[in-house]
Amino acid sequence: MNTRSEILWNRWCANSEKHPDRDAIIHWVAGEEPYRWTFANLISVAESLSVSLLENGIVKGDVCAIVMRHNKYLYPLYMAITNVGAIPAILAYPNPRLHPDKFRQGLEGMSQRSGLDWILTERELEPPITPLVQKENSTIKGLHFPLEWDEERRVNEEARAHLMAVHNSIRRSDPLLLQHSSGTTGLQKPVLLSHRAVLQHVEYYGQAIGLNDLDKIVSWLPLYHDMGLIGAFHLPLAFGIPAVQLDPFEWVLAPSLLLEAISKEHGTISWLPNFAYNLLADKILDEDLEGISLHTLRMVINCSEPIRPESHYRFIKRYLSYRLNPLALSTCYAMAESTFAITQTPPNVAPSCLSVDNSALAKGHVRSTSNGVHARVCVSSGKIIRGCQVRIVDENRNDVEDGNVGEIAIHSVSMFDGYRNYPEKTAESLIGGWFFSGDYGFKYKDEYYIIGRKKDIIIVAGNNIYPEDVEDAVSKVKGVVPGRVVAFGEEDEEIGSEQISIIAETNVRIEAEQSNLKMEIIKAGMAIDLSIKRVYLVPPRWLIKSSAGKPSRKANKERTQNRAEPLRWS
Amino acid sequence: MISDEVKQVILSTLKLDTWEIRDETTAPQIPGWDSLMHVNVIIAIEKHFNVRFRNIEVLKLKNIGDLQRLVDSKLTK
Repeated sequence: MNTRSEILWNRWCANSEKHPDRDAIIHWVAGEEPYRWTFANLISVAESLSVSLLENGIVKGDVCAIVMRHNKYLYPLYMAITNVGAIPAILAYPNPRLHPDKFRQGLEGMSQRSGLDWILTERELEPPITPLVQKENSTIKGLHFPLEWDEERRVNEEARAHLMAVHNSIRRSDPLLLQHSSGTTGLQKPVLLSHRAVLQHVEYYGQAIGLNDLDKIVSWLPLYHDMGLIGAFHLPLAFGIPAVQLDPFEWVLAPSLLLEAISKEHGTISWLPNFAYNLLADKILDEDLEGISLHTLRMVINCSEPIRPESHYRFIKRYLSYRLNPLALSTCYAMAESTFAITQTPPNVAPSCLSVDNSALAKGHVRSTSNGVHARVCVSSGKIIRGCQVRIVDENRNDVEDGNVGEIAIHSVSMFDGYRNYPEKTAESLIGGWFFSGDYGFKYKDEYYIIGRKKDIIIVAGNNIYPEDVEDAVSKVKGVVPGRVVAFGEEDEEIGSEQISIIAETNVRIEAEQSNLKMEIIKAGMAIDLSIKRVYLVPPRWLIKSSAGKPSRKANKERTQNRAEPLRWS
Repeated sequence: MISDEVKQVILSTLKLDTWEIRDETTAPQIPGWDSLMHVNVIIAIEKHFNVRFRNIEVLKLKNIGDLQRLVDSKLTK
């Protein structure tokens, strides 16, 4: 195979020919024997599903949204979509808390933005999705229920020839997949990645973490998230090594499942967002750890949330006696726009920690200090991986000197080509091949430290939440002054992540009525599957406006935190 | 029927003054009981009643009635 023209399907087939009986994906379900896909089985079922996709009218370039629970057929289905040149986009399965109307609205916003052509889902979701398909001007051509197809049927020669003709028209520069940032109203930014970008990334990121034939990935991460999709699915599948896939819904209810899977399957690498370190360190009892050994783990990579040193200390302390190698803890800075990783700490080296003066940092300068009271400990996200370049720039997008804080700009061989159907957002952030990330950080001794972000996004347990989504929902609550709401993230040290807080203006003065109002605000969050942890009720005209005339999230967050004046809060 | 004791442990873990909890109530219907809080509620119930749940038992719970029955079954053993 000429690697310059290689596409993902060919790589998967080559792996299948090389290691037909090797485990490719171990589909893990609590309390059951895991289902083991070999590379050969996976290709065979994916080929069969490819024929069904063609028969159902799916053609090259169509965007196929997959909305499914943890199911063993999700993997070959995803592969099959790419085999016919269509573009898979895995979306989150709706949480029971999410109101069906809200789910449909979110899907509608996404479909208008991303141009979804088909929805491949489970029969259970037919009622909420059908009205969307039938709507005038809907981009969605139809619904399919692939779990009802005969995945194991034999592919005849005629069908295979047709499939081959379709397959041969796919080019390395063609889009491979579509990922969405989080959000519920259509604010999501659709990131389209090519075969070239993903294959290039697998090679370079694999080098950065010393990926080898003996590795086995273990993951509970959802596949609609770049860390799960690229790190724990594409990387092992393209590299030809096994991955154990747990159900994210099961993991969050019983986190020790991850440790059980690592121990039983001799897993070597796992990616986790920061909050998971706290959860695993603090919420698992000794009785759940009987027989667990983590000695095979060579990398536990912290990614997708700001990295908190305390979370690492707690995790190491908890699992040293379960044979965890402390040097397995590693860090990474990644984003979907560059396929995944940009920086990474090397294997078997503890990430550097830098104690810096907090007040100097607030002014954009990095000064080491040993004064614990005024210090902030920043954790390195490592050095740039091959194929990436990073600049730290000021507000005029001029480079700043090392040791100064600025916005992180990225150029990568695995860069996306822009947000799909979103030229204005693309123009804002992708300029001259450089992606301006909106994250703040600094470079120190060739390593990169990420310390904050320019955008107002709230990151809760690795999920990006747009404050606009929360504000929109809360604004509609009776008793809240419409449009006079701000949402922002507040640090929660116990869980090692952010939580959502609200400040809402209201005319309600009576205490009992304010309690009811707070509850209604929390319920408005629940209806869009978001947990609002803190509600500050304030009188009309309390919120500080920005120069654009809208309530400023930053200024009002600072005002509540300074507590210069009395507030009512939950 | 959900006992006052189970109800109180849930409400106090979630920092709620009051909330109607019936057999068929599910976790997502109770304010604050999200995926991150789930483990806290389960641990609080285990500690309060001095019982231990296996992962698979926790994963099979569909509503608060199931949780109550699980607690009852552990206490009668």
